[in-house]
Amino acid sequence: MILLESHSIIIQDVLTDRFEKPSRMDIQFVDFDHVRFHLSTGESKTQVTLSMGIHCWPDLLKYGAREHLQNEYAGMLLDPSQTEPEYDVSIVIDLEKIPSSQEERTALIHKLSLFKATAMSAPFLAAFEEESALEANYKDPAGASQIDVEQSVDAGELKIVRYREEEAMYIQARHDRVTVIFSTVFKEETDRVYGRVFLQEFVDARRLQSLQSAPQVNYSNREPPLEIRHLPGLKNGEDCGYVTFVLSKRHFANPTQAQSTILRIQLFRDYLHYHIKCSKAYMHSRMRYRVAEFLKVLNRAKPEVAVVERRTATGRTFRTR
Amino acid sequence: MSRLPPLVIDNGTGYTKMGFAGNSEPSFVFPTVIATHQSASSASSNPTNASAGGRAPPPVASKPGHLASKRGIEDLDFFIGDEAVANSKTYNLHYPIRHGMIENWDHMERFWEQSIFKYLRAEPEDHYVCLTEPPLNPPENRENTAEIMFESFNVQGLYIAVQAVLALAASWTSSKVAERTLTGVVIDSGDGVTHTIPVAEGYVIGSSIKHVPIAGRDITYFVQQLLRDRGESAAIPPEDQLRVAEKIKEDYTYVCQDIVKEFKKYDADPYKYFARFSGEHSVTGRKYDLDVGYERFLAPEIFFNPEIFSSDFLTPLPEVVDTVIQTSPIDVRRGLYRNIVLSGGSTMFKDFGKRLQRDVKALVDGRIAGSESRSGGHLRSTGVDVNVISHKRQRYAVWYGGSLMASTPEFYNVSHSRVDYEEYGPSLVRRFSVFGSAV
Repeated sequence: MILLESHSIIIQDVLTDRFEKPSRMDIQFVDFDHVRFHLSTGESKTQVTLSMGIHCWPDLLKYGAREHLQNEYAGMLLDPSQTEPEYDVSIVIDLEKIPSSQEERTALIHKLSLFKATAMSAPFLAAFEEESALEANYKDPAGASQIDVEQSVDAGELKIVRYREEEAMYIQARHDRVTVIFSTVFKEETDRVYGRVFLQEFVDARRLQSLQSAPQVNYSNREPPLEIRHLPGLKNGEDCGYVTFVLSKRHFANPTQAQSTILRIQLFRDYLHYHIKCSKAYMHSRMRYRVAEFLKVLNRAKPEVAVVERRTATGRTFRTR
Repeated sequence: MSRLPPLVIDNGTGYTKMGFAGNSEPSFVFPTVIATHQSASSASSNPTNASAGGRAPPPVASKPGHLASKRGIEDLDFFIGDEAVANSKTYNLHYPIRHGMIENWDHMERFWEQSIFKYLRAEPEDHYVCLTEPPLNPPENRENTAEIMFESFNVQGLYIAVQAVLALAASWTSSKVAERTLTGVVIDSGDGVTHTIPVAEGYVIGSSIKHVPIAGRDITYFVQQLLRDRGESAAIPPEDQLRVAEKIKEDYTYVCQDIVKEFKKYDADPYKYFARFSGEHSVTGRKYDLDVGYERFLAPEIFFNPEIFSSDFLTPLPEVVDTVIQTSPIDVRRGLYRNIVLSGGSTMFKDFGKRLQRDVKALVDGRIAGSESRSGGHLRSTGVDVNVISHKRQRYAVWYGGSLMASTPEFYNVSHSRVDYEEYGPSLVRRFSVFGSAV
């Protein structure tokens, strides 16, 4: 498994089961990055409520997450006033009104299992829209005189999504690209070293012939990149780094492509941490192998105990067991 | 920011149960199996016996260039659980846990890696983890587990609980339980083997543990054999026989109180007691029917009269339970008799607890009567309480106990935290910390 999947397997499994045969449930579970889910039935067995508590909800709300969810889950999303307490957003699935055909059901379940991903994709979609607006208004500076071009129109709003306590995602649209910057903080010394090698590899891997169409990646340690340098409260200690992805037009040219780009990029942090852990596991298996090899060498090196017959003064031997 | 629920992972020999604390059922139950491309010769990574079998090394860099092209991604190419079984044609299956203990740490580390990231979708750095271990797990295994959990996964805290103790905790949900003690006998019957484990105040009495080599799989075989003997299996396609036997075992069987009477009852009015099982051929879709008869009560009977099934193991389960308690320290015996707890799928038969209680009670009363008569009527016993507790969460009792424990605030005090690990190292987990009576 190289890539993590975007959908929540628990939602998928539970709903697939419940669509067949409704029964009571009350399940709490999580997703990456401090996302909490609560799947429960209310008074009747057929009213399933799926609530999500998400750390960066205030940020997402600013970039139109509620409207986006409203579009995606039309008729199921609950009003902010009806949202389950302690959670940020709830949807209700009425098991009596679900489609009857198997394909439609599978599609619906898949859509529901992408609940978190859908909420998180709102700022990206907003940025992609901004980009096309900027592109339409864009005047080529080569043709016009220097005075005509206003610098400020060139860049869209800088969207900040603080998806973890210490880490954030910055999204900015330009006339020809969308820049996504992740700030990464490693708690562990070892992780930081792994992480640095890993992120450096991202930059290098793009030089490969087959990966030419991948987004451009930059990695800077300590120093925040220019796009976000003006923001207050940015950390620039030894343990944090900034990864910049430059998405160009071809990465979000059509909706399906945009969708897959968004799904991939929002799992970037988890992807990174997953692979750091995988690398460690790999190193550990190499270490175990090495230890086993060394033990073999040591066992071979054991001096053979020469069997000398020991006698008492009278010439009797000891009994050997 | 509220604390995220701890992860509860119960890795058993056969099945792994995982989920989040606070729920009543595990979110995932799948076989503890990993499918890799590696050859089977790399089976054991335990340094002590690794020297015996030649172990294939993990793949290494061959091509120069930058790292991305240097090493393959073979170590990421594996499946776990049901997906592993589904891919068994092209991959090799490995069972990293044998007899409840982790044998292959390479595979186990990767098994955890995928179970946490792919299935639970949790960032281990944000969570506490509650793992389980079998009784008499060597401390080295605990240390290895802690090393993996803290160093590979950077978990916030770890608690390794003994499965039997968790099963005891799970029994607190039963209405029959008056006081919440961690003293009792746990009868844990899964697929392969049945354990009877005495626990006193949260500590396992290792010297008196007994194993019974009769469990779920044997019952299935027995059902299959009975069907064959009665000629019913002619209707079942050969490749489905085991599955059908399993289905009958799960859906139709119960424990009777008197086997002779039960036989008479069936013979007097077979139409009332014989059940119909209808199945469908898994390939051709042909329908077939068969009668389910005596196996309904005979199947679980092999716990109580093992001689009807096996010729080498002949001690009935109630007698084993009695021996286990009699070999335990004398001051806990009363507590053990009072609290006999069932756990695992093969204890789910209807009235299993009732029958066990009756049989153990008969043994105890017989012994008391004997000693009273030997004393010549001078001594009078006040009697011994025998209680067998069965409850709704029996099937995943161990996991449920873990979920219960890990959702209490005390869990965070008793588990080993990351800070402590960095201070003391892996030897930290050698120290047991038992949930006190405060729970």
